[in-house]
Amino acid sequence: MTLIHVPRPDVKSAMNADRPVNALLKAQIRHLHDAERNLPLRHRTDVYINAIKTEGEAAEYIREVTTAIHAAHEVAAAKRGRGIAIAAAADEGPAGKAPSANGKKKKGTGKRGRRT
Amino acid sequence: MPPGLDNLRHIVVLMMENRSFDHMLGSLTAVNPQIDGITDQLSNPDTTGASVAPQPLAQFQGQLDPDPDHHFPAVDLQIFGGDTSPNRVANMQGFVKSYFNQQQDVGHSQTIMYYFAQNQLPVLTTLALEFAIFNRWFASIPGPTICNRAFAHYGTSFGRVDMNPIDIIEPFKSIYDRLINANPKHTAKLYYYDTTSSTMEVANLLQNEPELFGTYQQFLSDCSAGNLPDYSFIEPNYSDHDTDSGEEVASDQHPDHNIEAGELYIASVYNAIKQNPNLWQSTVLLVVYDEHGGIYDHVVPPACTPDQFTASANDTGTGQPFAFDRLGVRVPAILISPWIPKGMVVDGRVFDHASIPATITKFFLGDYSPRSPRETSADVFIEPNVAPVDPTRNLLSLAAIRTDCPDFDV
Repeated sequence: MTLIHVPRPDVKSAMNADRPVNALLKAQIRHLHDAERNLPLRHRTDVYINAIKTEGEAAEYIREVTTAIHAAHEVAAAKRGRGIAIAAAADEGPAGKAPSANGKKKKGTGKRGRRT
Repeated sequence: MPPGLDNLRHIVVLMMENRSFDHMLGSLTAVNPQIDGITDQLSNPDTTGASVAPQPLAQFQGQLDPDPDHHFPAVDLQIFGGDTSPNRVANMQGFVKSYFNQQQDVGHSQTIMYYFAQNQLPVLTTLALEFAIFNRWFASIPGPTICNRAFAHYGTSFGRVDMNPIDIIEPFKSIYDRLINANPKHTAKLYYYDTTSSTMEVANLLQNEPELFGTYQQFLSDCSAGNLPDYSFIEPNYSDHDTDSGEEVASDQHPDHNIEAGELYIASVYNAIKQNPNLWQSTVLLVVYDEHGGIYDHVVPPACTPDQFTASANDTGTGQPFAFDRLGVRVPAILISPWIPKGMVVDGRVFDHASIPATITKFFLGDYSPRSPRETSADVFIEPNVAPVDPTRNLLSLAAIRTDCPDFDV
């Protein structure tokens, strides 16, 4: 069995978070910006994407939105689960007003602005 | 049945960024003349009319800056040499001219012809010589990343030839949707490097099905624990960025990112599979590049079955519509498994990224409909494990598993 040596890049010279964003990252930023518009307000960033110029800035924005997408889905899944559990309990218990199955919050209860 | 197919449980695809076949693997013709790479007969004219030959002078970083243009009109120039007449013939003579357009520098424009010497790329060239290298794997579209990657996920780009988000048009479904909704259910995952690099498949899959995604760290854990899904698609790190654990260098090999970081990444994916013996004998790994990134290749992309979509003249930017009836520029593609004979060269067959969902679907699901015309007509790189298996097409053809496969010191 042959062991092949794999040279490591010189991180100091290879790494450049100040490199201008390439066309691919620009496209990824645009796609994520579009995705952000579908998120509940409290999961959105307040980043002005036209001001993103470097890979480091792009990476930070990409991380924030990707995390937010996952968080929004987790919140929705938790609400869905809670809604199902409450609905099941309501089926078993005394009659009462059934909760919303889609787990929607009442107006005005969500936080607004930048996610912290 | 061939034992390689009988044992096969997992298919893993690692898609890198923006390098042509000749640029990365063209040097291997000197090692094995069956590999269709660089020869003395190849050249491109520069803008002075001088002939520029390919040279093994490619550098890991700092050479292809600015990023060579690989949008549809530029690739059209690269393939057709600037001929826009109705009966034009592709000649692969416009690469230097295209790169000249970006900086108006004759000397710099010639770097688009440079390729890597074999010893510069010990990982990719070793894998190519040890397992199966494809002489004819092309990008799906003569255009940029997003629409080409869409072919790997959906078997079509739904008419897009650009970098805009893909709109899924019914009735076609992603390969992931097909697998996880099948009966019996299959498993599938897209592993992006980390949340800071994220995925290029934002528009549909990440927004709507985030549970399909994992990180590269999870891929490593899944390999180690034997939890790899039936189908895995791996994305590299697309950006230089800081993390809590330190600096991460982009590993996608997109110009002007560091090539050695990509080599390391490919080796680490290979090692993660190989270090679990049960996984190694039941997995194939395809390493492929999404498109050529504007970099020289000498093979004329062939015609193909038209898709049912057409890109308008306005969308292509060339003044002509595009019916998805010819492929993009050739890219590196290597299939890895201990059931593949050493030194296999897959020749005389044409593949593109539509071959990925075509192969996964046929292997795991058998007959499936509807699929795009492009995917339906795409060749498969793994034969379905049903009798009779054609021995001339089966790449996992060994009667016994290899014990001489290389390791990388990652």
